[in-house]
Amino acid sequence: MKTFEEKWTAWLDGQLSGPELAEFEASLPDKAAAEGEKREAKKLGALLKEQLGSRVLSNADFFNHQLRQRIESDDERSEEPAEASSTGWSIQRMFWAGATSLAVFAVCAVLVMREKQPAEQSEYLTQVLNARVDPTISPNATVSMFEAKEHAVTVLWTEGLQSLPAEYAAK
Amino acid sequence: MNSRFLILAIVLTVTMSAAGARGAETVWSGLVMAENVAQPAAIPPELSPLEQSLKTLFGYNQFQIIGQSTKTLTSGQEDWAAWSRYFSLQVDARGHGKAGYILSLRLYKEKELLLESEAKLSKRSPLLIKGPQVGSGQLLLVLVVE
Repeated sequence: MKTFEEKWTAWLDGQLSGPELAEFEASLPDKAAAEGEKREAKKLGALLKEQLGSRVLSNADFFNHQLRQRIESDDERSEEPAEASSTGWSIQRMFWAGATSLAVFAVCAVLVMREKQPAEQSEYLTQVLNARVDPTISPNATVSMFEAKEHAVTVLWTEGLQSLPAEYAAK
Repeated sequence: MNSRFLILAIVLTVTMSAAGARGAETVWSGLVMAENVAQPAAIPPELSPLEQSLKTLFGYNQFQIIGQSTKTLTSGQEDWAAWSRYFSLQVDARGHGKAGYILSLRLYKEKELLLESEAKLSKRSPLLIKGPQVGSGQLLLVLVVE
């Protein structure tokens, strides 16, 4: 079942015929006005066909040449940023930047760890590994050693060494 | 690509070597006469960082240098001596480890060996040695990595 709009469009295009045409024209409230609209529509259609119809190019080669030039210049413009990006941050460059950053980080980490490595107390302070006095010169001498941690020094302490007169203090 | 790898490897190797290398360090060795006097002289600048430690540990108020030596160690195998008129402190470096320098020390009174010791001298910790009594004072030996 066609709607009134569908029948109207078909009537304007001259596609209704027979009883369908008679029935539709009988349903029109003002047939004269409708006929006028039909004529206007036909005129408009003819005008559009005339204006929008394909035009023949008088200088096709020149047009093709211009078109190719436009396409080429567009291609060049669209390639420029791609080239810049390839010279700027290509995957290869990103790889090298990453590798270099890692290398620098590794070196810094090694340096910091070397500096901050907590040394054990025995490594921090000087250690006396052994000590002895000549028993023939100082038979009663003894040696001992201690770490004065509050002063961060190590002391080798002797007792009983041969005492010497004051002139031995000379420079 | 290969040349870039080579350059990166060289840079890394040089940097890591520089990081691992031990810089030349200087060892100051001194023969110090400690005494208690009424008007103590100012402590020598070489000993000023140790002034409080010396006073506290040995109980003297004046410290005078009677002989000294400053030796820059590069290989850690150097030998040197600090002399006074009657004493000499002879030091043989026998290499260095992570903790410091291994030193062999000998204190002579003229040609008599008074004291012999071996120590691992840390650059963060001086070595103080109490020597013989001299007059009313005391001979001290001081070794510091500067």
